[in-house]
Amino acid sequence: MTSIEVDQFLAQPPGQVWTALTDPALLAHWLMPNDFKPVPGHVFTFRTEPVPQHGFDGIVHCQVLDLEPPRLIRFSWRGGGLDTVVSWSLVPEGTGTRLLITHDGFDDTDPAQRMVMGILSGGWRGHLIRRLGTLLGGEEPDA
Amino acid sequence: MTGPDVFDAIASPVRRALLDVLAGGARSVHDLAAPFDMSRPAVSQHLRVLLEAGLVAEERVGRERHYRLDARPLRAVADWAGHYEQFWQHHARLLRDLLEEDG
Repeated sequence: MTSIEVDQFLAQPPGQVWTALTDPALLAHWLMPNDFKPVPGHVFTFRTEPVPQHGFDGIVHCQVLDLEPPRLIRFSWRGGGLDTVVSWSLVPEGTGTRLLITHDGFDDTDPAQRMVMGILSGGWRGHLIRRLGTLLGGEEPDA
Repeated sequence: MTGPDVFDAIASPVRRALLDVLAGGARSVHDLAAPFDMSRPAVSQHLRVLLEAGLVAEERVGRERHYRLDARPLRAVADWAGHYEQFWQHHARLLRDLLEEDG
């Protein structure tokens, strides 16, 4: 299993960041259109452009797993063969907030999951990706 | 980083199509504009985004500028886990920008 971690410093205090993470209209502004509600157990979706060649219909199915205002939101993230969990954790830092984004549960061995790499790029073409091997040929990945 | 990143660059179907053409070899703006029914300035604008994202390099050939694909920045996108990392980095920056607008 692979997990992705991204962190971002935000100049605003956790309370204000929390609003941007939990208000559906604000959430749509920086992430994707959704019917999120800050309620534990709430089932919701994010909607984006479908990527039929990757078996992705453009809908990310989610459920709120944990909600601890104003420091943690954890939700499931399913779609296009992906069954993962996303956490947003807010840590006060000075007068601002450090937002830690963790995306857990990628199965390295599942070819279906490898297929969904184009899932959220807005319809990135699979065939160019396939040609990358040739285009990048001979180069070793950066350590 | 203030300029467009790889994610911004590939978000546009036109720019993905341009990259696709460039995958076949270096082209002038004129050659690139022809199959797209687009004006040269419109193509140039898309090329500028690709240049800033490091996906395209520019070279002078006589009086013309030629553009060639530099696929290296796509490595992270081609790697599925790296793709999600880029996805979240991109959206975290959008969140930062949104909060700064409101502030």
